Amino acid sequence: MKSRINKYLLALGLMLSLLTLNSQTVMAHGEKALEPFIRMRTIQWYDVQWSKQKFNVNEEISVTGKFHVAEDWPISVPKPEASFLNISTPGPVLIRTERYLNGKPFMNSVALQPGGDYDFKVVLKGRLPGHYHIHPFFNLKDAGQVMGPGIWLDIEGDAADFTNDVKIINGETINMETYGLSNGIFWHVFWGLLATAWLLWWVRRPLFIARYRMLQAGLDDELITHKDRLIAKALMVGVPLLVYASYVMTTRQYPNTIPLQASMDQILPLPAEVNAGVVNVETLKAEYSVPKRALSLTVKINNNSEKPVHIVEFSTANVGFYNKALPLPDSGNSEPVLAVEGLSLSTIEAIKPGEEKTMTITAEDAFWETEKLDGLTRDADSRVGGLLFLADDTGKRYISSISAAIIPKFN
Amino acid sequence: MATTTEHLIEQGESDSKLPWYLKDLYRYLKGFALLTIVYMGLRLYQGAFAVSTGLDSTTPAFEQYWMRLFYIELWVIAAFASGMWGYLWFTRDRNLDNLAPKEEIRRYFTLTMWISIYTFAVYWAGSYFAEQDNSWHQVAIRDTPFTANHIIEFYFNFPLYVILGGCAWLYARTRLPLYAKGISLPLTLAVVGPFMILVSVGFNEWGHTFWFREEFFAAPIHWGFVIGVWFALGVGGILLQGVTRLIELLDQLEDNI
Amino acid sequence: MSVDLSSRSFRPYTGEKARITRAYDYLILVLALFLFIGSFHLHFALTVGDWDFWVDWKDRQWWPLITPLMGITFPAAVQAVMWEKFRLPLGATLCIACLSIGTWIARIFAYHYWNYFPINMVLPSTMLPSALVLDAILMLSNSLTVTAIFGGSLFALLFYPANWPIFGMFHVPIEYGNGQMTVADLLGFEYIRTGMPEYLRIIERGTLRTYGQYATPLSAFCSALLCTLMYTLWWYIGKWFATVRYLTKI
Repeated sequence: MKSRINKYLLALGLMLSLLTLNSQTVMAHGEKALEPFIRMRTIQWYDVQWSKQKFNVNEEISVTGKFHVAEDWPISVPKPEASFLNISTPGPVLIRTERYLNGKPFMNSVALQPGGDYDFKVVLKGRLPGHYHIHPFFNLKDAGQVMGPGIWLDIEGDAADFTNDVKIINGETINMETYGLSNGIFWHVFWGLLATAWLLWWVRRPLFIARYRMLQAGLDDELITHKDRLIAKALMVGVPLLVYASYVMTTRQYPNTIPLQASMDQILPLPAEVNAGVVNVETLKAEYSVPKRALSLTVKINNNSEKPVHIVEFSTANVGFYNKALPLPDSGNSEPVLAVEGLSLSTIEAIKPGEEKTMTITAEDAFWETEKLDGLTRDADSRVGGLLFLADDTGKRYISSISAAIIPKFN
Repeated sequence: MATTTEHLIEQGESDSKLPWYLKDLYRYLKGFALLTIVYMGLRLYQGAFAVSTGLDSTTPAFEQYWMRLFYIELWVIAAFASGMWGYLWFTRDRNLDNLAPKEEIRRYFTLTMWISIYTFAVYWAGSYFAEQDNSWHQVAIRDTPFTANHIIEFYFNFPLYVILGGCAWLYARTRLPLYAKGISLPLTLAVVGPFMILVSVGFNEWGHTFWFREEFFAAPIHWGFVIGVWFALGVGGILLQGVTRLIELLDQLEDNI
Repeated sequence: MSVDLSSRSFRPYTGEKARITRAYDYLILVLALFLFIGSFHLHFALTVGDWDFWVDWKDRQWWPLITPLMGITFPAAVQAVMWEKFRLPLGATLCIACLSIGTWIARIFAYHYWNYFPINMVLPSTMLPSALVLDAILMLSNSLTVTAIFGGSLFALLFYPANWPIFGMFHVPIEYGNGQMTVADLLGFEYIRTGMPEYLRIIERGTLRTYGQYATPLSAFCSALLCTLMYTLWWYIGKWFATVRYLTKI
């Protein structure tokens, strides 16, 4: 019976091994798992653009974009006092060579200010050829990964051509891919051989039963010979000496070393771009209809600009609901999920300069469900948040970060 | 003379060139080979499909390549556990009082082989696939408890070593007089402690759901696994139980050249 | 449980009995090899793993403190059985060698081949020099107290200087992004990890930590003290687990 089970398991193993012959392209990352209130009310991304989608190994591309840090930051998410602008990739298929926040280079983590506006740029360099889905995203300490919009990238060429040479401070150029590798292997092999020799020295003679019997018979002295003691003494003295010597040699070879760097970058927000005070939006009520998959927002809009403005888009968690009465604006090559005719308004008339208007806007699309945003009716912190984009006839934009408690309508 | 199904089978296989105390050596080596094939097969499967289909748990491809593997694993594990444990129990020795010293020595060797197979499974679960979890979660955004590595590590590797540990325990309990008369504390610790690692998966996933999303391996959320694995040190006690009993048995044998 | 043997009547096994005991030795060695790779590696990875996985975690305040502290555990427990019951002074070296094997296999086949990280970014540290000295001191002293104090201390004190020849060169500075960073920091910045944001690294914090910018010796000596205590604790944990009791019920 055991051998039969063995055969079945063997067949399973072989089957699994054979399946490796097939391979497919990469799918998106699992950003939908994060609770909707975190995706809607923490980092609100917009205008994300990639310089190129098809490029070669060693070629550099960049991703730029903007984000607003929501004022209505969820109570259960720690404040963004340590945040890291990251890129989701299936491993380092490309490397990050530069990163900027508000035009300033930053290498570490950063504290973000709720209500603040930021723009970013990350420069990436192709390393492994393939077809990959990539997002910019923020690691928020103790909150998780808040994803920006993703895009498909194609890296072409030969992985063997990849180079990553960097100049260290004394002017010497090093290859980051292999730097210190052979030296590290040397020391591991060196100590490994010494340890193996010590183990073999003991293992070559009768071990457990034989030694246990002798010990019980009071023959301790015969178990440890004079030669054993000599070798142990040599180890006890020799190993620390070797360690010390190799340490001193290393400090002489690399006299100017520094500790790992752990500072927190301090970068202030840009002048307000969202909630800038020109066109003000106040959310009076938010209802979510479960059967219709529609969010209705009753908003009071106050236009202090000099031109009439209209609502263009409601964007939340990288889903864009566009006003169906207006032509679709060009969103470049970034791939937010677009509900092209997802937004309808209770009145299509523009809001005149100086006018205060209360209206209902409805964002309706199956994306509420497929993007797993409808879960907000089941959250403890069931508030909706997002960016409302308004514009005048010249194209000048006014952006409001809005939020409100959600009232579910189950029927 | 003791009688078991196993013993009767082996009497028919007496033409083996192996010494009598290593009668199960080939089975033992086959067990190693089989486990190696299965684990390497799973690793190759990950290499082939994890990046292409295992990054987003909401896609149909994930369901096809990973959740299906998960369900297959559950069936394999259930069948293997009931098959092996059932076999060991129903073929138990019902006449242990009359066990000859030579046969008991042979069974101690086989028990050691069982524990060795168990520790080989512990290697794959505790060392390779465990550390690989840290590596994979640098690649994937963790969006499900059933990530491409968890499906193999938590729901195949962990149950498999638990089953093999259970096999070792049952083998001792059903075929060796001392283990049948009393319940060996170190053997029980070495099997039940690491079993608790499987239970700790619940704590781990619960914590990740609620407050912990990064891949910080040394986090307290993972220490349930750590405490479980300390019990593997019970093997020291099993060794001592084996050594002392083997000396008693060897002393009952005549000296042969 | 013990076997009644006296030195006067003692006769070593010969012939078949010697072969039986030798075959048993080999079986136990194979068993122990995988047992310690599996169990000690899991213990190590989940308590101090991050410091060992990544070159940009190996700081001078925490890394030399807690790596030996968690690394001396299994060696102490295994020595308690191997030395006390068999007079085999190899418990520490065996455990640490097994740990090294496990970590190297994972770094190559998981991090590098599956997930494309360069191996130099995930080079493991070594505690083999520390383990060799610990075994030697136990053998020469045959004393738990002496081994705990001197062996435990040396286990900790040797860790940083033994690893500096491997990792020192990763600490040369680079001018990058209007600041300075080490090669190790740059590896962490360039080779993207989704689950390991920079802020997660636990590297030196505090104001009086350096006493003139020498944090490492303080960490090493603190670790030496803690290793002395940890060694003793784990010696008894090893002894406790190596019980030979049979119970009537569980």
